[in-house]
Amino acid sequence: MTHPRPNRPAERYIYLDYQATTPCDPRVVEAMLPWFTESFGNPHSAEHAMGRIAEAAVEHARGEVAGLIGAEAREIVFTSGATESNNIAIKGAARFAARMDNPRRRIVTAVTEHKCVLQAVGDLAEEGFEPVFLPVGADGLVDPDALRAALAQPTLLVSVMAVNNEIGVVQDIAALAAIAHAAGALLHTDAAQAAGKIALDVEAQSIDLASISGHKLYGPKGVGALYVRRRPRVRLEPLFSGGGQERGLRSGTLPTPLIVGLGEACRLAAEEMDAEAARIGTLRDRLLARLDAAIPGLILNGSREQRIPGNVNLTFPAGSAAALMAAAPALCVSTGSACSSAAIEPSYVLRALGLGDAAAGRTLRIGIGRFTSAADVDAAAALLIEAHAAAPVA
Amino acid sequence: MTFIERDGTRREVDAPLGLSVLEIAHRHGIDIEGACEGSLACSTCHVVVDPTWFAKLEAPTEDEEDMLDLAFDLQRTSRLGCQIVMTPGLDGLVVRLPAGSRNMLNA
Repeated sequence: MTHPRPNRPAERYIYLDYQATTPCDPRVVEAMLPWFTESFGNPHSAEHAMGRIAEAAVEHARGEVAGLIGAEAREIVFTSGATESNNIAIKGAARFAARMDNPRRRIVTAVTEHKCVLQAVGDLAEEGFEPVFLPVGADGLVDPDALRAALAQPTLLVSVMAVNNEIGVVQDIAALAAIAHAAGALLHTDAAQAAGKIALDVEAQSIDLASISGHKLYGPKGVGALYVRRRPRVRLEPLFSGGGQERGLRSGTLPTPLIVGLGEACRLAAEEMDAEAARIGTLRDRLLARLDAAIPGLILNGSREQRIPGNVNLTFPAGSAAALMAAAPALCVSTGSACSSAAIEPSYVLRALGLGDAAAGRTLRIGIGRFTSAADVDAAAALLIEAHAAAPVA
Repeated sequence: MTFIERDGTRREVDAPLGLSVLEIAHRHGIDIEGACEGSLACSTCHVVVDPTWFAKLEAPTEDEEDMLDLAFDLQRTSRLGCQIVMTPGLDGLVVRLPAGSRNMLNA
């Protein structure tokens, strides 16, 4: 049996779905490998050398993750991914506040957040909290005045994603954090799509809690991190009972190989982010120029300026997203987020921008990343133009 | 100063200036563990300070906060007994023993 090579799943596919997941960078894989076999010690086994070697590797990785976002190493808690980080941050902050007899009950988030944030916030209604879901503008951005209005009621926590997973728009987290803090609320940001793509600085942006995912920044799947501010201290109620690892916040043996991979991915991102963003931006412009020239009426969803270079979300004038993808099976793009792309329901993010179901049904998310070449982009543009030309007019 | 024990009993004891709440507790047989003997390496001397007294204490250091992160049954006015040192202004201090400590198998 032959195995596909890393980052080249098969020469016949063009992968343009970098918001769903990214391939592990080969340098990340290389860094991880010894920790599966030779250096397999439990990083919590402080009594012997092999445990301490693994612990040192974990702590080194913690420093790399912290470095990417301007945090201290001890402010980083390792988790299984951004979904878990978001759950610990949101439910943990709410439950801790309630246990301290904090009378604040309101939790404010935006309608375009990732499902796990919407669900975590929504689920807290059953525990007596008051979820508030802010609308966004046609550009996908949260209106600071809408946030101010929501904060007229005493609020515990504001959770706004740094970069949207479907439309790639970048929220002004520093401005939103200032508004949240002025009202005495904490600011959490789901930074899964932002970390390693745009500069993040928890001090400069005044972020209290931030969620990071390994597999969105060329690290492994199944690992992530949560930043928890230490000064002034943010306290959370843990979700898991157990051995009290990660300062009591996240019990469970740490997966050393995955954490080493996440650390290396963060180190590479910090080092290469600027050059990579410029290169990907050029590819994005090349793709858009080709599509725009051949498909009049093509619409780019979300803010044109406030967006990461590696994402375009396009509504086509004709056909349907499903038909376009069926006509170009070699092309790996998506209709919405990976979690909802199997669902028939149109994307709630696109609806929040004001797109009708018909327009949402003609929309594709295209993600460009580290291993995308100019040839990939040219081939993808050609395939989409051909598929669209064959589509019935809407 | 006064300790309120886990069963609600109030124990008023002598609190010499310069001694910590942990040291005072040990002198009088109050059931506070203090496993690290005041070196800020554990949270077993966790006490809950009476709210009227809490504001009169100096703010905890980041190192103390790090240990309080690990304290069992953390409350809004939680402190480590080893870090509260008696001064004339603290004459009459009231602290309550929390529900339990993290060193639960030895409790």
